[in-house]
Amino acid sequence: MSMTLINPGRIGRAVLGAGDYWKGFHELLFYSLRRLGALGKPPVRRVLLKQIYFTGIEALGAVTVIATLSGIVITTQITSLVGQNIALTAKIMLWTVVRELGPLLSAIVIIARSSSATASELASMKIRGEINSLRLMGISPGDYLAVPRIAGITLSVVAVTFYFQMTAIVMGYAFAAIMGFMPFVKSISGVISTLSMTEVLVSLLKAFVFGLVISITSCYYGLRATGTVTAIPRAATGAVMRNLLTVFLLDGIITYAFFV
Amino acid sequence: MIRFDHVTKGPVRNLSFDLERGGTAKILFDSEDRKNLFFGMLAGRQRPEAGKILFFGEDLFAHAENERLALFRRIGMVPADGGMISNLKAWENLLLPAWYHRGLTAEEAERPVAEIFEQLEPGEAGLKRRMGELPGQLSLYERRVVALARAMLMEPDILIYDFTFAGLERDAAQQLMKLTGEFHGRKAGRVSLYLCPDDAVSARLAVDRTITLAH
Repeated sequence: MSMTLINPGRIGRAVLGAGDYWKGFHELLFYSLRRLGALGKPPVRRVLLKQIYFTGIEALGAVTVIATLSGIVITTQITSLVGQNIALTAKIMLWTVVRELGPLLSAIVIIARSSSATASELASMKIRGEINSLRLMGISPGDYLAVPRIAGITLSVVAVTFYFQMTAIVMGYAFAAIMGFMPFVKSISGVISTLSMTEVLVSLLKAFVFGLVISITSCYYGLRATGTVTAIPRAATGAVMRNLLTVFLLDGIITYAFFV
Repeated sequence: MIRFDHVTKGPVRNLSFDLERGGTAKILFDSEDRKNLFFGMLAGRQRPEAGKILFFGEDLFAHAENERLALFRRIGMVPADGGMISNLKAWENLLLPAWYHRGLTAEEAERPVAEIFEQLEPGEAGLKRRMGELPGQLSLYERRVVALARAMLMEPDILIYDFTFAGLERDAAQQLMKLTGEFHGRKAGRVSLYLCPDDAVSARLAVDRTITLAH
């Protein structure tokens, strides 16, 4: 095998890079938890509301389409496998949509839209010296830039996940009802009666954790950018790839912890 | 209020001066590189190799980040390029530190800003109309006016003007000079430090003392 494929230098740099990332991640996490009070300042609240609008409200169109199609595909597949079995269909819907696809697909949509945008916006500000401009105004860049973005993206991921789950279930069953596969009201009742508090809480936990990871990672990659404008797309792709890997890893860990 | 105590960094060698309450001074530079280095020290970005820089008797570099930010709240920095946030409109940039630190709303800021604009362009509303633009769409003069007004709204004890009159048309530079002079006098004990190129425009700036940093 070629040495360029198993280059120890590259492996070492990747390990060190991962170490730097986790160190930076934890620093930003604890900073934002300590400085949540900054959200009390009107300019910071404004950034928070803008972030919620961009990450949450503006994503609803794409999320509605993806959730609807997901719901339709799942109900179609289930009914083709098990027939008109309302109880079993409800269980499978909960396993797939509430436990897994809801949090995961919502996170992926938000990674694609907001993670790259946030990382590149902050990287651009860093490269242009705007972070220093904030300091000269006596404004903490962490308080004004990072805290509202972390709070806004995290809240948005939780809300969007919930919306995704509702839409997928309702639209999936609506399609099934239109196609004559199974009755709509009975199917929804079946889901509600099968739904457990554990599933609700775990799905919310996943959404919350994914939101924190996505927001902090995006801010981390953006704020560490240095040098020329080529650092901006590197920050964006770095944030997106790190977020995708971490979200899938955490999804596996949380699922294993609660459902195995 | 501003004290340089045997400061050395690069071409700046063993610089010492004191700017007391109510004082004005201009520092003349023979190059922008030297000025940028100097401003970098004032902004807390470049630590001197030797010596201390003190604001209000406090060593700038002895402080952690959050304490340094508290110092900067009392200092109005007017950077040469305006130092604006590119995704905020001019008016939002102008208002940002006053809104952040003093809770000043847009309505409360309208009158003092209108007075500043009126001094610069009596009877006209050109500057006011431009406040809805993004920083990238403003001229150098407009960006500096926003930076000036932004600093003035904070009512700082110290003002530091970074090449504020450089590269402008003669009349525009003169108007800004007059504005800064009047603003200096409005608060007892206010200190104004001008970083200027060594040219004819700066020669017209009347201050208590002049320091020349040249080869």
